[in-house]
Amino acid sequence: MSSDTVDSSQSQAIEDEIVELEGRLEKAKARLNKAQVNQGPSIPPAKIPSSDVPLTSPTHHFLLLLSDSALPLGSFAFSSGLESYLAHTRPKSSFPTFLNFSLSSYASTTLPFVLAAHRHPIDLLELDDALDAAIMCTVGRRASVAQGRALLSIWDRSFKSALPAGASTAAVEALKEFTVLLRATSSNITTHLPTASAHLGPLFGAIAVILGMSLRQTAYVFMLSHVKALLSAAVRASMFGPYHAQKMLASVEVQEGIQKVIQQEWETKIEDAGQSVPVMDLWIGRHEMLYSRIFNS
Amino acid sequence: MTSPFPVSSSAPGEGRIVVQLLPHGISALSAITFQYPLKLISPSPAAGQKSILVFLLTYGGGLVGGDQVHLTIDVKPEAKLSIVTQGHTKIFKSPSRDVITRQRLHVTLQDNAALCLLPDPVQPFKGSVYEQSQKFTLADTASLCLLDWVSAGRRARGEDWDLLAWRGRNEVWAAAESGGKPRLLLRDNVILEGDAADSKEKALRNKMQPTGIFGTLVLKGPLVEGLAAFILAEFAALPRIGARDFRSQDKMDKDNGLMLSPEENWRQARLKQEEADSVLWSAARVRGCTVVKFGARTVEGGRLWIGNLLKQDGSISRLFGDDSTMCVR
Repeated sequence: MSSDTVDSSQSQAIEDEIVELEGRLEKAKARLNKAQVNQGPSIPPAKIPSSDVPLTSPTHHFLLLLSDSALPLGSFAFSSGLESYLAHTRPKSSFPTFLNFSLSSYASTTLPFVLAAHRHPIDLLELDDALDAAIMCTVGRRASVAQGRALLSIWDRSFKSALPAGASTAAVEALKEFTVLLRATSSNITTHLPTASAHLGPLFGAIAVILGMSLRQTAYVFMLSHVKALLSAAVRASMFGPYHAQKMLASVEVQEGIQKVIQQEWETKIEDAGQSVPVMDLWIGRHEMLYSRIFNS
Repeated sequence: MTSPFPVSSSAPGEGRIVVQLLPHGISALSAITFQYPLKLISPSPAAGQKSILVFLLTYGGGLVGGDQVHLTIDVKPEAKLSIVTQGHTKIFKSPSRDVITRQRLHVTLQDNAALCLLPDPVQPFKGSVYEQSQKFTLADTASLCLLDWVSAGRRARGEDWDLLAWRGRNEVWAAAESGGKPRLLLRDNVILEGDAADSKEKALRNKMQPTGIFGTLVLKGPLVEGLAAFILAEFAALPRIGARDFRSQDKMDKDNGLMLSPEENWRQARLKQEEADSVLWSAARVRGCTVVKFGARTVEGGRLWIGNLLKQDGSISRLFGDDSTMCVR
């Protein structure tokens, strides 16, 4: 019994000491914080921790390259029907309304092809052909092919020489064959049915998987690039200024809108891809009817 | 007791039409079978008819939730078939989103065969769930004229795109050449996803505004080449949007006094109608096919517009007979 009481009084003393030390630590921390606030920015860490900064992997490097608006796809030349929408709905036009329509329509028509090409890049040629058969207007086809060919050129001239380790050789080979077929098609225009067209969607999916991007990243970057192109077109069509455009781009609505359409189309088979906003086909198709235009679509 | 009759080869909703050319150059049915809820009627052939006419009907004039219709059509070389309906194909309410009303059509057109499918619009009622899949396989020299249109529902009852789901898919395939695979030429897919019953926001209605009818016309093949060229030319001749008339008043009065050609008069009248009925349309060539998409505020406005276009060109009536265009008059 007596030894127990000695033990308990000893442990009591240790506990008291701990409480006191903790109190001192807290005070010291508070003083340090105060000093740092007064000093301005915190002292830089001695070395970059590699765990929480993912930008060191080549995948993230390419993620940033593909999402960059300076990627020379020529997207600035296309408004995806915005210009025509404005001409048809003036003065009741509303950008948020159009953005919603355009997100829904672009996702339902094109995103399944991006996802399919990412999942099976060796089917690139068939996906490209199926998408070509599903685009119902000349203007939309022109926009998709122009940007797709630009992306293929970027791949051919720039990215190909910097392949990340572990890139699928089968996919690289499929892309190479596709390029050869495309060259053969362009030199032989007499056939009215092209063997290869180079639409943006499937090529984006195939190139993204070679560069090591995940399926969800690819879908997000693809849809975000579309939103960025629309906003940039809206700024140049003087609907609003660049700050407002950034505000919309940063908004929760855009983030949720993109997530929502990706979720909707995640399982969609390419046979079931189609137009969810029928009037969009009319606006895009009638772009050629505009008296004056600043965009190609 | 076993039945003395042969076992029926057709299943509910199944139907089959085979058209062939008789020796004296008249298209005739060599087979026509159907089972409830599908009904096919063909008026007895008349001498000198340009194509064989078949009415595609359903008992009660519509499809009840969950009905499945599957029609297979085979048009033999040189034969011509026209398919029409007697009024809108009504799609009744489905008990739930999982009960899908389906209509499938598989058409094979052999060498120099032709099909003219100009039905009335599909009319999806409030709460209906519908899927339509039409697949056309064409020989290189075969011709197809296909109209597929969907209306906003029963306008008189205040319905305005209140359907639960609507999907319409039209595929045109080039028949396989010896040893090859059939090639997809065109896949037109329209997906209308309705709003949940409890949702306040009418998203589909907003998307479709202000159209009360939306349609697609697909043309392919040598017989309808003239019509396709005519429509594309009319599309190219549309006045520019946002253009202004810089002529002086004097000049305008003088120009108005000039005699316009009958074509120009017709075009001016059509443009007036397009404006009055808010018809929006576009036309494009897609891999050897011609696709016309149009929307109008009212069903009648849309019908008037497409009927006017077909009548002015005149080749459909000339090739398939007047009855083939009865649904767009």
